[in-house]
Amino acid sequence: MSDQEKRVQIGEKRQDTKQPTVLPGIHRYQFFTNLKDRGWTLNLDRVALFGIVTALLATVLKPLFHGNAATIYCYECRACYATQDRCPVGIMFQAELAVAGRVLDYDRFIRNGGLKCIRCGNCQSYCVQYLPLPRMFEIMQDDTRSAIRNGIVPRYSLERAMNEGLVGKEFIDDVVKALA
Amino acid sequence: MEILGYLTLGIFLTLMLLTLFGYIRTPVQTVLVMSTILCLIVGGIFRFAYSGWDAVMLLPNEFLGGIILHPITALLTGLFLAGGLKASGGFEALKVILRYLRRSPIGLVGTLVILINLPVISSLPCGRILAAALLPLLFTFGFEGGLGILTKSQLIVLIGAFTRNAMGSCGPSPIGGVGQIGEGFLGSFFPTASEGILRAPQAFSLMLGTAIVAIFLKMISQRLYPEDVALREAPPSAEGVERKEPEIVAPLEGYLALAIFVLSLLTAIFQPFGKMPVQSVLVAGALLMIVVCRIRLTHLMEGIILLPVTAMASGFLAAGALAATGGFDALGTLLNSLVKVPFLGVAGMLAIFVQFQTILPLSCARILTAALVPVLYLFGPAKFAFLDWSQLAIVMAAYIINATTSCGPSPLGGGGMMGEGTMRAETGFIKGAYTFASMAIMAPLAAIYMKFMNLKVFQPSDPSFVKDITTIMEFALAVVAVNLFLIFLSRRVLGTDSSRNFYFQLIGFLTAGALAGGILAFALFETNATAILQGVAGGIVAAMLIGLMVPRTLSRRMTATLSGPEM
Repeated sequence: MSDQEKRVQIGEKRQDTKQPTVLPGIHRYQFFTNLKDRGWTLNLDRVALFGIVTALLATVLKPLFHGNAATIYCYECRACYATQDRCPVGIMFQAELAVAGRVLDYDRFIRNGGLKCIRCGNCQSYCVQYLPLPRMFEIMQDDTRSAIRNGIVPRYSLERAMNEGLVGKEFIDDVVKALA
Repeated sequence: MEILGYLTLGIFLTLMLLTLFGYIRTPVQTVLVMSTILCLIVGGIFRFAYSGWDAVMLLPNEFLGGIILHPITALLTGLFLAGGLKASGGFEALKVILRYLRRSPIGLVGTLVILINLPVISSLPCGRILAAALLPLLFTFGFEGGLGILTKSQLIVLIGAFTRNAMGSCGPSPIGGVGQIGEGFLGSFFPTASEGILRAPQAFSLMLGTAIVAIFLKMISQRLYPEDVALREAPPSAEGVERKEPEIVAPLEGYLALAIFVLSLLTAIFQPFGKMPVQSVLVAGALLMIVVCRIRLTHLMEGIILLPVTAMASGFLAAGALAATGGFDALGTLLNSLVKVPFLGVAGMLAIFVQFQTILPLSCARILTAALVPVLYLFGPAKFAFLDWSQLAIVMAAYIINATTSCGPSPLGGGGMMGEGTMRAETGFIKGAYTFASMAIMAPLAAIYMKFMNLKVFQPSDPSFVKDITTIMEFALAVVAVNLFLIFLSRRVLGTDSSRNFYFQLIGFLTAGALAGGILAFALFETNATAILQGVAGGIVAAMLIGLMVPRTLSRRMTATLSGPEM
């Protein structure tokens, strides 16, 4: 095929109105490669999109089923970090606990002091949306306790928590039992 | 387990760089999801070996934590509202209003300047919300759009500058903007930081940066890539002929929809009815549009553009996988180790650190910001004590504006691609302008603004307000003047040889990067000559990495993409 013919073919592809629309009235290759020319990646792209949608759904549905829906609304803006020494147990990164509660990330929750939170509510006043942080943390504490009892939480996570003094007295028995 | 972090970081960076340079030509979402899967597989194997099956089973939970829902849902609801605006004739109403504005004393130029800065004025949590709504409107200013007020070159500048402004406006946004992540961390020392300690430095530098982008697009980009914008000029037959502006009539529903749109934005920003998520306000606005403007739900759905949403989500997935497998810890360690390089030191390392997201621009700034701001925080008194709290705030200001603007030049589904799409340009057309402005203007000016203004406001121990304003003005003028000089100089030396042009542009980047690094070091360590030299060295390293990523030519890569794989 001559260069001229190649150019014409490319020009035709650019005008192809069957391409995905990326902005009203704009069909472009630059966002998605033209799938009909990408036979070998077609299914890969579909799998990827399916994966993205599934992950998003999981992120939204998980807290709903666990009764911790408020975690969905967290902006993750970290305004709650301004609590500083007004947190009586010295938790520094409250937003981490909110995110951990949303996705049931036990290790993250424990690592950031979730098990020593006494739910005093001091951090709540710093939240730009005034989310019920104590309630969110309480639900995650209950979930974590169940996970510890069922042996789901990895041992290294509990050992580190014990060594670093991250376990409150409410949970100490469960953690010790799990480590025994 | 440390090796795992380096492995997954290597996988991620390799895939991203191969995509950035055009060696992998699949949709960015696919690449990011593949990176996620690979990292999780490697992470799973390591965890199984070290901690057993239970630790592997928790990996999905941990990587899902990387997804930040707020920008995704805010963007979706914003697009929803934009769809309603389009269906009800809101854009026609806006055109009518703009026509009146053009005929007012501020004229066409004043109107366009307001339009370009509208994103930073409204400061929504994602720049794509307003961009999706207004880019089609800006397109109408050209010949192809119908109004024919602007030439092709002017339209490129208008769209490019507007998109630049939009893809940085998520930084100063008080409703879940990227800057709030930095403000949150600074709240550990400045009690009122979350009320907006980083907002003004970002907005100030973004406005000046937008202006530089406009000049760069006009003088450099259009010369470097003259064949890569498919916008059409008015045909020769139309030249010299008095063009009659078509009469625009907007329906009443259009005005109502526009009013609802504006009121929704104002309510979301100023929260007059108490604290509520921006998403709720925007959805309420959309429902009101359905009732008042008699549009259908499908019209709202039509406004949704899936690319930015899925690109952002897949970026978060990749970031989540990296975080879960220690990739970001490895990155933090690597950046931290730069301090030990003799010619860099702390100042040089920070000069590179603040530019990191422009070096590796991803589809949403939050992807890396959420990972790197904690690292930056640890550079302060909390751990490594390289910086005191005031210095940390200065670096944070420079870092955050550089980070928030990084989705603009990202060819991996970044917001700037919406602008490129609207101006019918090849991917990468705006990259030079956007990265140059972020690196050379925005980061140093945000640092200066923070040092001489915001720190004084938040810690009012020094009342020399006028003196500080003057200092900021002097720095701003000096930085802008030097960069303008570089742009004008580059314009003179650019020719038709793309390789030669590329090297001239790179020299410009290096010079501007050195200046930016030096200013950042001065803002941190004042007249410490060693620190300033180290800052200059760091700035040059960062500028080299940024400059080398600016495409030499555009058409060749796009032609390859269009032609498909060799069979």
